[in-house]
Amino acid sequence: MSALDGMGAERLEALLRGEEPRTQAEERRAALLTELRGGALNAPESLRRRVLAAAPAARRSYGFRRPPRRLVLVVVPLALAGAVSAAIVHGIVGSGSPAPTSMAGNLARQAPGVFGLQSLKQPAHGSASKRETIPSAANDATAAAPERELAPLVSGRLVHEDATLAVRVQDNSALTSATSQATKIVGALGGWAQSVHYETAHDGSGSAYLDLRVPVGNVKKAVAQLGALGSLQNENISTKDLEQTVTRQSNRIASLRRTIAAYEKALQDPTLPEAQRVILQVRLANAKRSLTQLRHARTGTISSGETANVSLTLTTKQAAAAVPHKRGRLGRMLHGAVGFLGLEGIVVLYALVVLSPILVVGGLAWAVLRERRRREEQRLLAA
Amino acid sequence: MRGVNALSASLESPRQVGTPAFADVVAEHLDAVYRYLVYLTGDRTAAEDLTAETFEKAFRSWRRFDPRRGAPRTWLCRIAHSAAIDWFRAEARRQRREETYVRDAALLEESVFADGLSPGLEAALRTLTPAEREVVALRVLLELDGPSAARVLGITTTAVSTRLSRALKRLEEAMADVGA
Repeated sequence: MSALDGMGAERLEALLRGEEPRTQAEERRAALLTELRGGALNAPESLRRRVLAAAPAARRSYGFRRPPRRLVLVVVPLALAGAVSAAIVHGIVGSGSPAPTSMAGNLARQAPGVFGLQSLKQPAHGSASKRETIPSAANDATAAAPERELAPLVSGRLVHEDATLAVRVQDNSALTSATSQATKIVGALGGWAQSVHYETAHDGSGSAYLDLRVPVGNVKKAVAQLGALGSLQNENISTKDLEQTVTRQSNRIASLRRTIAAYEKALQDPTLPEAQRVILQVRLANAKRSLTQLRHARTGTISSGETANVSLTLTTKQAAAAVPHKRGRLGRMLHGAVGFLGLEGIVVLYALVVLSPILVVGGLAWAVLRERRRREEQRLLAA
Repeated sequence: MRGVNALSASLESPRQVGTPAFADVVAEHLDAVYRYLVYLTGDRTAAEDLTAETFEKAFRSWRRFDPRRGAPRTWLCRIAHSAAIDWFRAEARRQRREETYVRDAALLEESVFADGLSPGLEAALRTLTPAEREVVALRVLLELDGPSAARVLGITTTAVSTRLSRALKRLEEAMADVGA
């Protein structure tokens, strides 16, 4: 019931269309409508001339023209086509030469926590470092570990050693056995297993990742015995000299001790002003705290020189065989194109994430302004 | 007449099939827009200025007019409505500034809304608000249908119907008061 005076909206519409009134009220309403429509009011001739004369002048003004909505239907497909074309071009260009892949790289992808970080580790400034890498074995046969003559890692100096090994075993039962054997080997050499991660799949593939600690003096033996658990795929040993670090820490400790002694001596002076006394007490406390921290740090440095980290990755043949994947030119092209499309998607997503708050705030501001204008309009016309 | 000829020459060929020439639109709808603005503002002089402004704006955006989205009359009324709102805004500012409102004086003078209306209806129309006179003009005088009027006013069709019904009832009451 939209009409307020008892006359329904349908009847009002009927009267507006010129239908016959049915009641007295409708007759009055129809008469009113007839009288309203009967009033003559035409635009003055002067206005007609003014409008017609002003129109060509208006045509010469150049303002901002909002692009038609249909343009979106063209721009969006064009942008999509451009993105896909760029991806295809990128794929074609990138498919010329096969991407350099290596077993080490694949294994690094398998266990980034092991290879990804350690193989990128650079020697710290002022310390000597030594790294040896034995590339993957060409023959996958379960041959014994190759005879290796590692350079002496410890030569009377305090060093920290990291070793990473990737060993392939025959199947899951061999994987279980090798995992157990590895922990026994390091235990026999005076070390321990910090963590063991073991997983197998229904298709017979499996892998185990062992984070081991071995006394530095036994690293050579441990690496040799662990490598013999299966077919050695990759071995990486890095050595970091800790001698300079410890020396630096010791010098700093000695310096702090001297400073503390000087502060304590100064504080014993009864003529020392109270303000300076407080300052010296604060400095003394700070120096003592620094000394404690440095002692802990030096202990940690020495401890890390006593044990070596050995990361061992054991994989079954099936799991390892799934990793290397040679692609043809078309495959590389498609792979490159898909990767590029993914990159474009990430960029678009990033732009959306960055812009969406701005768009939301803008939209809200626009809605608020529009509502304000509407209310103002209502107020103006209701006056 | 030079302007008329130039306009006809420049705009007689329609932009697309189904789009009338602008000169034809002016000839057909000028009176309707003028009457609408007279009803809305209650001021013939202001209505003349606003009519001219409306057609100037319409001419500027004539290339964007799409007859499939609405009739020319509806489109022109929307432009006229927007121009009138700006005028009301300016009038409100002027009223605040000058304190005396000249438009009220103009409303009390001779027939404003149309020639030939009874004095009672003229007086009754003056008692309506601009919003009520506007809906009367759109639905009764210009004979726009409900959806078209709603599009011009920016409200729902139901609201248009309610506003029109209320306006006509108030007109009848005001006329009865004048007669008594």
